[in-house]
Amino acid sequence: MAETKLVHLKIDDRDVEVPAGTLVIEATRRLGIEVPSFCYYPGLTLQAACRMCLIEVEKAPKLQTACTQVVGEGMVVRTNTEQVRNARKFMLEFLLSNHPLDCPVCDKGGECELQDMVFRYGADTSRFVEEKIHRPEEKWSDLVYYDAPRCILCFRCVRVCDEGMDVKALGVGMRGAHSIIIPNREDHLECEECGMCIDICPVGALTSGTYRYKTRPWEMQYVSTICTHCSNGCKTTLSVRNHEILRANNRDLSGINKEFLCVKGRFGFDFTKHPERLKQPLLRKGGKLFPVSWEEAAQAAATKLKELHTAYGGEAIGFIGSNRASNEENYMLQRLARATFGTNNIDHHRTADYTGLVTALGERAADSSLTMEHLYQSNAVLVIGNDPSNQNPLVGWQIRAGIRHNGAKIFLVNSREIKLERKATQFVQVADGQEAAAVRWLATGEGQLAAGVSEKLAALKSALEAEPDVAIVFGSELTGKAIEDVVAFGLKLPGKVRYMALGDYANSRGAADMGVLPDRLPGYAYLDNRGVVESLAKHWGAQVPTKQGMTAPEMIDAAQTGRLKALYVVGANPFAHFGKSAAGRGNLGLLIVHELFLTETAQLADIVFPAASAYEKDGSVTNTAGEIQLLHKAAEVMGARSDFDLLRIVSHQLERAGLGKAFHFKTPAAVFEEIRKTVPGYNVESIGLLTGGAEPTKIEFSKNGHAPYDVPVQLIRPANDNLFTSGTLGRFCTMMQTLPEAEAKP
Amino acid sequence: MQLSPKLAAKFDKLQSSYPVKRSALIPMLMYGQDELGSVSDELIAEIARRLGLNNVQVEETLAYYSMLHRQPIGKHHVQVCTNVACMLRGGAELLEHAKKRLEIGHKEVTKDGVFSLEEVECIGACTGAPAIQVNYDFYENVTPLNLDRLIEDLDKGKRPEPQGVISGALHERAKQETPLISKRWGIKDSHKIDVALQHGAYQALDKALKQMTPESIIDEVKQSSLRGRGGAGFPTGLKWSFVPKDSPKPKYVICNADESEPGTCKDRPLMEMDPHQLIEGITIAGRAINAHSGFIYIRGEYRYVLDIVDAAIAEAYERGYLGKNILDSGFDFDLLIHTGAGAYECGEESALMESLEGKRGNPRIKPPFPAVVGLYGCPTIINNVETLCAVPAIILEGGLTYANRGTPKNGGTRLLCVSGSVNKPGIYEIPLGMNMKKFIDEMAGGMRNGKKLKAVIPGGSSCPVFRAEEIDIAMDYDTVAKAGSMLGSGGMVVIDEDTCMVDMARRIMHFYAHESCGWCIPCREGTSWLKKMLDRFHAGLGRPEDIDLIGELSMNMLGRTFCPLGDAAAMPTISIVQKFRNEFEDHLQGRCAYNKSAEALIGSR
Ligand SMILES: Cc1cc2nc3c(=O)[nH]c(=O)nc-3n(C[C@H](O)[C@H](O)[C@H](O)COP(=O)(O)O)c2cc1C
Ligand code: SF4
Ligand code: SF4
Ligand code: SF4
Ligand code: FES
Repeated sequence: MAETKLVHLKIDDRDVEVPAGTLVIEATRRLGIEVPSFCYYPGLTLQAACRMCLIEVEKAPKLQTACTQVVGEGMVVRTNTEQVRNARKFMLEFLLSNHPLDCPVCDKGGECELQDMVFRYGADTSRFVEEKIHRPEEKWSDLVYYDAPRCILCFRCVRVCDEGMDVKALGVGMRGAHSIIIPNREDHLECEECGMCIDICPVGALTSGTYRYKTRPWEMQYVSTICTHCSNGCKTTLSVRNHEILRANNRDLSGINKEFLCVKGRFGFDFTKHPERLKQPLLRKGGKLFPVSWEEAAQAAATKLKELHTAYGGEAIGFIGSNRASNEENYMLQRLARATFGTNNIDHHRTADYTGLVTALGERAADSSLTMEHLYQSNAVLVIGNDPSNQNPLVGWQIRAGIRHNGAKIFLVNSREIKLERKATQFVQVADGQEAAAVRWLATGEGQLAAGVSEKLAALKSALEAEPDVAIVFGSELTGKAIEDVVAFGLKLPGKVRYMALGDYANSRGAADMGVLPDRLPGYAYLDNRGVVESLAKHWGAQVPTKQGMTAPEMIDAAQTGRLKALYVVGANPFAHFGKSAAGRGNLGLLIVHELFLTETAQLADIVFPAASAYEKDGSVTNTAGEIQLLHKAAEVMGARSDFDLLRIVSHQLERAGLGKAFHFKTPAAVFEEIRKTVPGYNVESIGLLTGGAEPTKIEFSKNGHAPYDVPVQLIRPANDNLFTSGTLGRFCTMMQTLPEAEAKP
Repeated sequence: MQLSPKLAAKFDKLQSSYPVKRSALIPMLMYGQDELGSVSDELIAEIARRLGLNNVQVEETLAYYSMLHRQPIGKHHVQVCTNVACMLRGGAELLEHAKKRLEIGHKEVTKDGVFSLEEVECIGACTGAPAIQVNYDFYENVTPLNLDRLIEDLDKGKRPEPQGVISGALHERAKQETPLISKRWGIKDSHKIDVALQHGAYQALDKALKQMTPESIIDEVKQSSLRGRGGAGFPTGLKWSFVPKDSPKPKYVICNADESEPGTCKDRPLMEMDPHQLIEGITIAGRAINAHSGFIYIRGEYRYVLDIVDAAIAEAYERGYLGKNILDSGFDFDLLIHTGAGAYECGEESALMESLEGKRGNPRIKPPFPAVVGLYGCPTIINNVETLCAVPAIILEGGLTYANRGTPKNGGTRLLCVSGSVNKPGIYEIPLGMNMKKFIDEMAGGMRNGKKLKAVIPGGSSCPVFRAEEIDIAMDYDTVAKAGSMLGSGGMVVIDEDTCMVDMARRIMHFYAHESCGWCIPCREGTSWLKKMLDRFHAGLGRPEDIDLIGELSMNMLGRTFCPLGDAAAMPTISIVQKFRNEFEDHLQGRCAYNKSAEALIGSR
């Protein structure tokens, strides 16, 4: 970064030094001096509309707005003079003249910026005795309600929808004192329903359909955890009362997403109390599933597993891990498979080829991973395939923010005209499924492309060659060899290049990192990596199997043929995903499932354990960018238990039945301690995690002389979730399901 | 949507006329509404489609402008001005009469859909007050009697001959007048290029292009000490010199023809009687800053003036005074006239640029100033019609000669429109520095009906008022400022002893509340609050503490709003409360000695 000049100024008689170009309002905040503001919102365009931030600047003829005044050398600023205080008081009096002051029934009561300001800066009485302008409240969608009289016209909502979301669904109607905010479809909204406008609203003018009139802010507890939907890993603060989640937002702007949440993160928590949640273990008796006691279910599981293991060996037993379970749980599952059952029959529903990326990067893996912050900071972003705004909303948000704040340039290679196109510097449209071919051309100049495409790619290439900092983001269109190509292309660029593979689901990256893979150990180590094998053996007190296991689709096939006798599924729906649910469970002797709902897979099971969702447990997850973050238990669903608990229970029963060693971890944190030691790349500082931050993994990988890696295309199966879907879980998010926009989306 | 061939052709043309398509939005809405009677959902969708906008972008823009209607208006839309100049000549009574005659209220439509009525703000016909508009036709000096006749005629399908050239510009020249920029007024067909050429048009352009450099043009204008005639009085040459010479971006000249300051109606005759002088001035300005494109932003109400100027632009293109390689000088310049749609705030330069870009007329944060970041983010100079009309004269007679017509730092002549309680309301060109009292007594013919002078609004309703005894001063920018007011836009409103100053303050505040764009809290809420309070007060429901509160609220708007509209609302109010406090006190006693139809005025909008 170019060195910025520092400017010295005096604010309220205190000296401060800030980079040139800083706004006075930011400079005051550095000193801990509060200058009130409504319309100023970091990251959004300046408005200078509310006039709350008026301050004195020496030599200026009148009060200046701190939100637009840029610092100057030797400037003298006063923020707390009689004149300034008076201006604030009047501004609030003006504002309240048309405000209903219905705080006792307003959702925002207790966390309203206007209330706070009046308390701090306002007059105690109003001299306004005229009639106020009245308008009835409007319902814009199931999620968004607008109460015009409460609106203070700070235009934050309009800006966040336009600038932040690039949706432009909100505007300003009428003028003067009659000005109001208007939605894009006359009397209702048709948009991405992200709810950003609701949370950014400083007052109770925009309220949430799911939260309104439910409770008061001071009656709730706040738990920050990680969104359980897509792979982007937004931090979300859950507002909880009596173990029930009532709201999700991120008003403290902490975490990798700051205030951003998409519709799923903000409103997709109602599955936790869906009536179909499983709350008791189920056991198949006489062809039907019956609720049984925990003891009976766990014993049945252990006995049967032991029996089949003894009869057929570990080769006949398979494990499918979870894209949503925590790192700890996935780690425990693969340890159970490998250490207890001696098998590498462990996999998960892979939606991105993380293995391919780590392998292609090799020694560069740690240094070349693209975090969400890097993505925002990059000068240029190349997006190959995928539709970030729709499938990876935070990635889309970061890219847009980079464009707005840093003038980042966006380059797209895609077969579809995705939404990001309108912000793109260059867009190369390729034929359906030709993203990999385009990348091959970029890397090698080889291959046949449709007319005109190679010229466009050449232009794209030369543009990227001029950029010092390039982010390459790609979807499941690139796997195996194609990822090698993209890395080869990146290596040829003169600038610093970082990569991000886009998967679906909250912890797909974590599952892969944990070694929930039939051909790789934790940290993507090859099965013959002596160092890793020895270290694992030491920690597990067991042999580590070296024979490659079956992939998830292979396991489902093997279940049909009878080669697989037992399948243990944690938080996954393989019989639905791999298209075999119609064929039934085949010749499996045992199917154990940890689930929230009676999914297609759970319906086929012999034993179903009611599992807790991510919002009901502690642990850690890793987002698609390779950033580790902690989950915190927010809600409690009676009867459901975390996979951590379930795996512990089962391991104890197995030990009792004479198979393997029980897990002695007391908490997920204890598992994480082991992960730090055994999973290359996870030895991160825990202080950052504990304080709510994200720590990028630093995968250390060595090719160990292995042949070039490739993966059968059909093994990487994107879920193609959009803004309103979220795999199997999404089917139980009632609110999201019923939005008209959800139906309109493919 | 199926458009008529004429409208489709108009839309096609508009769409391709601007550097950025969205700029065509407001004109498209206006012309669309003219043909369809209102802005329908289909029209919105059609325009959105043509301009690549979404619904909300169109809707939020159109909702801002008072001339755009979502609901159908009458075939004959009767618009009665009740702003200060008309108010002093019975505008409010005329509105009441119209309501009774048509049996509808403000913003209502007769059952048969033939008539609709609207109380409107100043329409720029102040010297012919009270004035009305029916659709785009002006009628001046309207009495209840001839309003009835007008309505009868319209009802019968006849279109009574509308007022053409504003009557106030057609008086005999007074001997103190110094016609310089108004010199071609009154000549038959002076708006036509051949007539204009016979009387010296485009000689200055020829000189500027062939004998002068951009720098020497700016120097000449600096020497002339020409100051902006739009209101703020900023030195024009200095403004032009702020345009960065090395900017690679295109540069623009904008002529501000939004003329909406209550009491002001001088740009209108300049455009209708001498459009070529304006075109010439704009083109010279373009040359001075090396711009190749200019826009005239004209208020939507002045449609017939727009048509006159548009025809003149076409003539100028034809004769090579516009377009490529003007007069063989190698200089290219294009000019486009653009209609507004009813918004006083769009006269503010940065709001005007937003509006010209097809958006709501919200002002922009300054700095940066337009000379650096203006229209489409490019360096832009914006000047009032009258300012630009003075440029050809300055080029021809030289900056110094021009300057010497006025007083030091206040060069030249200016147009004053005097309206209200005088015998000879009209638009007069006088040298800057003439004595105000003398002007009223002599040129404006003294007080009407022998009444006594009570107060003078010297330059549009945004200025603090003078009491009768304060007007023995020279009318130049600096002297008037020293005396505590402004020369402003040249719209002088003379107020006689029969006028209630509380009512005056009330009517003025109605205007600003109606025109506040709503962007900033103090103006949006302050004007609305003050309007309600002044209504109540004038109706006799005032409380003693209200008088101070009115003053205090105004004082707290002053200097704290986003743009000067807030100041414009505060300044006259503060001055009226200070200078006519006794009248407020009288109201507390239930005495409004002057106004007979107080109730009629209240709550009308
Ligand atoms: C609320 C408001 C309304 C204005 N209306 C007009 C107008 O109608 N015509 C005009 O020429 N200037 C108007 N102005 C002044 C313009 O902002 C600008 O100063 C002027 O066009 C510059 O031209 P000049 O220097 O030639 O006067 C207005 C200013 C404000 C604050
Ligand atoms: S709805 Fe809220 S965020 Fe939007 S302008 Fe009104 S107060 Fe501001
Ligand atoms: S972008 Fe992904 S992680 Fe973020 S809120 Fe949406 S679904 Fe959750
Ligand atoms: S002062 Fe504020 S509300 Fe009033 S017109 Fe200017 S910006 Fe708009
Ligand atoms: S924060 Fe500065 S004007 Fe609103």
